Amino acid sequence: MDFRFTEDQLTLTESVRDYLAGTHGPEVLRRLDAATEQGNAPRDPAIWQGLVDMGLTALLVPEEHGGLGLGLVDAALIAAECGRACLAEPLVDTAFVGVPWLLAQGKSDQLAAIAAGEVKLPLPHAINPWTADGEGAAVQSVDPLRVLTQGSGPDDPHLLNLGALMSTAQLVGLADAMLAQATEYAKIRTQFGQPIGAFQAIKHQLASCAVAIEFAKPVVWRAAAAMQDGIASAPIHVSHAKVAATDAAMQTAETAIQVHGAMGYTYEVDLHFWMKRSWALAGAWGSRAFHLKRVDEAVLSGTLEIGPQSTFA
Amino acid sequence: MKLGFSAADELFRQECADWLNAEMAGEFRDIKGITKLTASPERRKEWEQRLGEAKWGCIGWPEQWGGRNATLAQQVIFAEEYARAGVPGRVNHIGIELAGPTILAFGSEEQKRRFLPDIAAGKTIFCQGFSEPGAGSDLASVRTKGRLENGAWIVNGQKIWTSLAHISDWIFVVTRTEEGSKGPKGLTFLMMEIDQPGIEIRGIKQINGDAEFNETFFTDARCPADSMIGAVGDGWKIAMGLLAFERGVSTLGQQMAFRNELDELIAAAKANSAASNPLIRQRIAKAEIGLRLMRYGALRMLSNTDHSKIDGAALTYKIQWATWRRNLGELAMDVLGQAGEVTEGSEYEWDTLPNLFLYSRADTIYGGTNQIQRNLIAERGLGLPREPRGDV
Repeated sequence: MDFRFTEDQLTLTESVRDYLAGTHGPEVLRRLDAATEQGNAPRDPAIWQGLVDMGLTALLVPEEHGGLGLGLVDAALIAAECGRACLAEPLVDTAFVGVPWLLAQGKSDQLAAIAAGEVKLPLPHAINPWTADGEGAAVQSVDPLRVLTQGSGPDDPHLLNLGALMSTAQLVGLADAMLAQATEYAKIRTQFGQPIGAFQAIKHQLASCAVAIEFAKPVVWRAAAAMQDGIASAPIHVSHAKVAATDAAMQTAETAIQVHGAMGYTYEVDLHFWMKRSWALAGAWGSRAFHLKRVDEAVLSGTLEIGPQSTFA
Repeated sequence: MKLGFSAADELFRQECADWLNAEMAGEFRDIKGITKLTASPERRKEWEQRLGEAKWGCIGWPEQWGGRNATLAQQVIFAEEYARAGVPGRVNHIGIELAGPTILAFGSEEQKRRFLPDIAAGKTIFCQGFSEPGAGSDLASVRTKGRLENGAWIVNGQKIWTSLAHISDWIFVVTRTEEGSKGPKGLTFLMMEIDQPGIEIRGIKQINGDAEFNETFFTDARCPADSMIGAVGDGWKIAMGLLAFERGVSTLGQQMAFRNELDELIAAAKANSAASNPLIRQRIAKAEIGLRLMRYGALRMLSNTDHSKIDGAALTYKIQWATWRRNLGELAMDVLGQAGEVTEGSEYEWDTLPNLFLYSRADTIYGGTNQIQRNLIAERGLGLPREPRGDV
């Protein structure tokens, strides 16, 4: 038993983090957002091409179809980085949810094109009344950087679990980024003659966010490993992760706004991009209530083995 | 990332289960199922020795000192089987989890030879003398004095909240050995035998009626100079090193006890139909998720073999489990309703779930209150400016 990531996984994650930090900062989010004010989609082909060039669209595509053939744990680590950068391009949906779903269906005809970045997959599902980057008339989302279209799809449980899993990974990355922004602000904003971060009223709130994020992450990685290994309890692991990651991200979003004071309520402070993405992902692929219900049924109706008769590693 | 257990691990599991079940069905059947910390102390000391004889007392320790050099997976398995077999908690967990590793890290070779085999054998029960009436959250302000006289330390002062001191053989004590020193400077770490005229133990009755904690008074108590760990003035460094061991594998055994508590709560909710109430169901689901958070958090923390730096997981662990357990106690009371407020018999003694509600109030206080934990997380983990610390 070993809960650590491999050197390769850590190196890949770090390189994606560095790449996004260097090319996809808050100024990019503001620029994309400004495009929507002129009636354009908040998209920039150069961003997508950069992700393709990094090999990320090919991450889960098997080698025989021109991909890297990596697994869902690798993808979850990268999805967390996408969350950290508040990336709006449909990379996670297409390459980390759509590809493994196609593979599970035995459908391989689109894989090479996806790996090459030529196809983006919208993923309609019965649980989501709106689909990101789908066909049809766009509706305004609370998340200004994502384009939604109305209309849902089939009720496919595997797709739901994949979508929920990758949402959780993005949520912990988003939460990390919001905590970092609020912490930095608490160090430089001065009131009563000292940085506000010196006050317990501030630092205890930030510490509570750090605890929530720290503990949500291993559950997300556990869920990714469970989905990758295809174990029977994988859906419950996904639900554990969805609730924990949603709670961590929403708590951090609320705290980060509070720590920023009145500035936190302005459009000018970039924080709202992360907060709104968190909100959007919290509601997608099964709400908190949906996933709590899956857990309570598993625990109370006996479908999940609990108790000392079972191991719970 | 490799989860799950190998075939060899499963064989090891069988070996653990067979041995533990045989003991709990045989010579030690009278202690099976005990959850109260202070119950049957003499029999549980005998149990410590039985564990030691069979080399199950501290399986994670090096073989040289009575352990098995067990892998993480084996320690997980042993903790699971231990709880599954209904074996009561360890009365020497301070010795195994704190004193032993501290001696291993900071003690001399002679001290290792003198202390470790007896701790491993379950023959030396340890307790911890850190807190004082005037040094709680502000631990560095300890005032218990030690002075060196004719080759021995003479200790005067008082410790408090000394868990299980009344059944322990030894106590490790942080003493102020430099006259006029303040804060973390001038402290020294001593190992002291309890059975001597200069040490007096008085129990402190707690809100659950039990008396696990004690006041420990030192009046010219003696400690041979060769029972000092590290050097004069190293006390703070060693005390902090010791606290870092608390993230150890004890967390795994602790989590199995939590698992049992949650299962008992679920059984109670099913029995009195509280489980059909959607609000209760949601809270049970939250508790289950919280347990998973701790589980995978601990596995990640323990998989990290580089213990040289305090990582985020280690820093955040205490507040997470303490808060979870306090919430579980509150949920237990909501599940039980008024039935949780009455106890059979004339003694002020409580079943597992009402006792959990009462006892878990201590969890968010001892070992650093939730508020102190948040200070540490914010300052060490997030790098926020430090709290004012008086004149230290």
